[in-house]
Amino acid sequence: MIEISGVHKSFGTLEVLHDITLTVPAGSVTVVLGPSGSGKSTLLRCINHLEKVDRGRVRVDGELIGYRRAGTKLHELSERHILKQRARIGFVFQTFNLFPHMTALQNVAEAGGGIELLERVGLADKAHSYPRQLSGGQQQRVAIARALGRRPKLILFDEPTSALDPELVGEVLDVMRDLAKAGTTMVVVTHEIGFAREVADTIVFLDEGRLLEQGPPTEVLDKPRHERTRAFLSEVLV
Amino acid sequence: MSLLSSARAATSRPSTDPPDDLVVVPARHPWRWVAAAAVLLVVAQFLHGLVTNPGWEWGTFFGWFFEKSVMDALLITLELTFAGAVLGFAGGILLAPMRLSKNPVLRTVSWTFIWVFRSVPLIVQLLFWANLGYLYDRLQIGVPFGPGFLHFETSSLVSAFGAALLGLALHEAAYAAEIVRAGILSVDSRQMEAAAALGIPRLRQFRRIVLPQAMRAILPNAANELVNLLKSTSVVYVLAIGELFYQVQVIYGRNGRVVPLLMVATVWYVVLTAALSVLQHYVERRYSRGYVR
Repeated sequence: MIEISGVHKSFGTLEVLHDITLTVPAGSVTVVLGPSGSGKSTLLRCINHLEKVDRGRVRVDGELIGYRRAGTKLHELSERHILKQRARIGFVFQTFNLFPHMTALQNVAEAGGGIELLERVGLADKAHSYPRQLSGGQQQRVAIARALGRRPKLILFDEPTSALDPELVGEVLDVMRDLAKAGTTMVVVTHEIGFAREVADTIVFLDEGRLLEQGPPTEVLDKPRHERTRAFLSEVLV
Repeated sequence: MSLLSSARAATSRPSTDPPDDLVVVPARHPWRWVAAAAVLLVVAQFLHGLVTNPGWEWGTFFGWFFEKSVMDALLITLELTFAGAVLGFAGGILLAPMRLSKNPVLRTVSWTFIWVFRSVPLIVQLLFWANLGYLYDRLQIGVPFGPGFLHFETSSLVSAFGAALLGLALHEAAYAAEIVRAGILSVDSRQMEAAAALGIPRLRQFRRIVLPQAMRAILPNAANELVNLLKSTSVVYVLAIGELFYQVQVIYGRNGRVVPLLMVATVWYVVLTAALSVLQHYVERRYSRGYVR
């Protein structure tokens, strides 16, 4: 489904991703863990070409993202083509990024969805509310409904609950759990270890731009092989 | 400091009353009354002067206020304002994205345009265009002297209006470009990112996501600029175009009633500005959807 191979990414002289190789099978849930600044968000943004990779390749369903191969060269696609590729990849932001001048339903409709998607996240009764009239948790659920609008094959979640008050985290995780059960391919950057343990098929641990380990939750969370992983887990589990 | 400590002393003093019996007395503001009375006195004095000073010549004022030549001049003022605003903002909507473009040629051209047309005083620009029009007319005919000059005289009125409109529109476009640019910059970059992540085409992103949000920042400044333009049309009197200010000058040049005729123009400018302010209120309300709870 997603094949990331040998991806490098630098901002100026700072290397934020170093030789990342990762495969996400269709219908699986991958949770990316790591301290802040470890490159988690950048990795996610490389998957839908919100960031350009410096080296390496990202494929979704076998299709190269952002580039076209001609011989030994990769030509960057035109913006129109990239936008078309992105339409099949849902993205949920930490700060929701709903369009504030549109109602919940208009937001979803802007992505081609309808009221049934708001029903799916339990917000059909808020269809005509503006984002500002909704709680953070409700806004994020609308944002998830919007991401579903294009019928994406894959949804990327960039710390979807980090900007929420603690009592609102649960409702968003519930929606994500339902999506996972329905067989949606998901890559989730989060600090919610409980959610990761329960829902993830694979856990990936990043540190300083390197992929230190990956495996099922029972391995990475319970028997981490790497010292950095142990240190990180002991901090977030306090 | 002393207020704070005395307030503390008051609250810490033991009280025998049950707390729910205490009545709240709002703070008194005696100086507000004094200030209001002083200001009202000045206003009253001014109004009294308006009524009693014969120099205002209110009879003459009302005699000319709705007079036909003044009405015609008012129409020309409105035409210049409307056409100048439409052309100016059309230019601004083109120039602002150019200035924000990644293309260095577009960026430089836009920057230079704005620099030049904000630098040149409107009155200088108008005279320049009027004279350039005269030059072009001669060039078009291709005859060095006589005939070219005659051609200019026959079309002088049209050329003058054209020059005035050109000057106003170019001047306005430079300011409008900056107003639109400020509006675009005021939109959170994460909005563009969200739209890009949804795969919304570029032009649709601008039209549906960026511009409606930018409008909130654009509108107050645009209304300001429109009022400014309305008043700037009075500058085109230097091209002898019969707009409001030129027309009242013509009239008081004949009858010598300077003050009441200046008041005719003044009151019309005030009335039109008031009308624009009302319009602004409704347009702003339309674009504030989603921003008020």
